Amino acid sequence: MTNFTRRGFLAGASASAGALVGASAGALIAGQQVASAAEVAAQTAVLKRSEKFHGSHQNGIELELQTFTNFVSLEIHADTDRSAMQRWMKLLTDDIERLTAGEPILADAQPQLALGPARLTVTVGFGPSLFKKLGLEAQQPESLSELPAFKVDALREEFSGGDVLLHVSADDPIVLSHAVRSLISDSLAFASVRWTQQGFSNAQGVVPSGVRQRNLMGQVDGTDNPQFGTDDFKNLVWIDEGPEWIRGGTILVLRRIAMQLNTWDKLGRTDKEQVIGRRLDNGAPLGQKNETDPLDLNAVDERGLKVIPNFAHVRRASPTNPKERFFRRPFNYEVGTAADGTPDVGLLWTAYQKNPAEQYIPVQKRLDDFDLLSKWTSPIGSSVWGIAHGVKKGNVLADDLF
Amino acid sequence: MIKKALVALSAFTLISTTLSGCAGGSVDGHDELHFSDGWVRVSEFSDHVDGMTGAFATIENHTDHDVTLVGGSAEIAKMVEVHEVVMMDGEMKMQAKDGGILIKAGESVTLEPGGLHVMLMGLKEAILEGDEVTLTLDFDGYDDQTFTWPAKASLSGDEKYEPKK
Ligand code: HEM
Ligand SMILES: [Cu+2]
Repeated sequence: MTNFTRRGFLAGASASAGALVGASAGALIAGQQVASAAEVAAQTAVLKRSEKFHGSHQNGIELELQTFTNFVSLEIHADTDRSAMQRWMKLLTDDIERLTAGEPILADAQPQLALGPARLTVTVGFGPSLFKKLGLEAQQPESLSELPAFKVDALREEFSGGDVLLHVSADDPIVLSHAVRSLISDSLAFASVRWTQQGFSNAQGVVPSGVRQRNLMGQVDGTDNPQFGTDDFKNLVWIDEGPEWIRGGTILVLRRIAMQLNTWDKLGRTDKEQVIGRRLDNGAPLGQKNETDPLDLNAVDERGLKVIPNFAHVRRASPTNPKERFFRRPFNYEVGTAADGTPDVGLLWTAYQKNPAEQYIPVQKRLDDFDLLSKWTSPIGSSVWGIAHGVKKGNVLADDLF
Repeated sequence: MIKKALVALSAFTLISTTLSGCAGGSVDGHDELHFSDGWVRVSEFSDHVDGMTGAFATIENHTDHDVTLVGGSAEIAKMVEVHEVVMMDGEMKMQAKDGGILIKAGESVTLEPGGLHVMLMGLKEAILEGDEVTLTLDFDGYDDQTFTWPAKASLSGDEKYEPKK
């Protein structure tokens, strides 16, 4: 099974369509039971956990996945100038301070929905188009520019581009919904919404902590990543040069990648594992036992064939030099299901890095040339964002940009 | 007594006090007014010269005596009044509140759209979203207090102004 060709793959596809992986419903809690204070505390632990907002980096990046996410792209009004941007960022800073503490914003239309922190984070970024509109080209880092076109692209306007990004995540969907609406309400004087993209990962308490989750192709996703709190992470992700506002920030590439699950699930388990180069049950590299065992791209089996095939996604995506790495923080999306049962699902795929030209783009080009996985996946949205550095207490977001 | 009355406050008010800090000087905070979540509303009534708008906050009375918010002043407004919203001819309207707003010892009052508020009238400049507005509140039984509060929109609070004859 190791010497697949693209064609052999299609021809040899098994007929059994695997069960679709849906977002599983949360456990029901018996409403009638009288709970003790300790039980209530345990039952609401997910709500009570909070993430800090202030710091040298914005939060929501070097952070274990939250369960729910929403990427909100905004387009500024024609009359929004730099001083308007300052006023907007002031409002957002105050809002984010309150929301991450689990509190309503000022003048909250629905304070009762601010149930608690639920690890809410809000990460604010700026698209290349913003700098042109505001005449701020001098502040635009070289590393922040539109991506080149790739052969695999099937991009749609309604999922691409934008001037300002608000990336909001939380462990509770109601807390998230309230935060997103609050932030959008306070943005409407300055901008309109271009698109929103909602996603999810595993619920809290379902997988071991980290940035890996099950994606809807059934794979463990997010394994091979720089580790939090290491120099490796810092050197790959956090920018330390260029305009002041981006030092301590990073560049985010966000791709909406649709999955064709109905054809994917015609493959049997072994075929699926070959496409990625990792086992489906626990995410271990083929030929290894555990998820975190190192990839051995040179390993061969008893017939002398490569254990991780040439077309495997992890081989194609592996760095060919130490610079070609970045941090991925993947969320799934699921929008609905067509009459014929085809689900509209995929990944909100993210890459955080200092400079896409040296990190993401070479890898994407290699996958563009050949990656068997792209038979069942296609990028339908794309955007690039300069994420400003973090906010110190008493300061305002991106105060050295506008 | 103070403790009991304050328990009745929403968690929002109590927690927010730590976020927004307290105005007033004393260190232990037991003999003063606490102000939190102050803001000024932006609407189509405030986006032009001569417009008007409301200012809102939560005020907790931690002193041992009653205090009354009687009025105020602001660089940006010709006149500042204390208002209430009342039902008049089947419509919610706002008007000056006779005698001001009483904040009893150990209790708190929330000024909010559709309820008690401070009215800034005869604006000398438009107030835009994200602006900071400085105003002074005048009290009976307490020192006048000056604040700088953010300006922002809210959906509620469109009651018409009905001047008293
Ligand atoms: C729907 C699309 C995609 C799916 C389902 C997918 C899935 C996976 C999976 C299951 C792994 C192995 C586990 C892990 O290390 O996270 C992986 C690894 C990886 N993927 Fe993807 N991926 C997708 C798109 C992309 C794209 C567009 C890129 C880059 C342009 C990319 C870059 C990588 C990299 C760098 C690795 C780690 C490789 C290594 O171990 O060195 N992936 N992907
Ligand atoms: Cu009024």
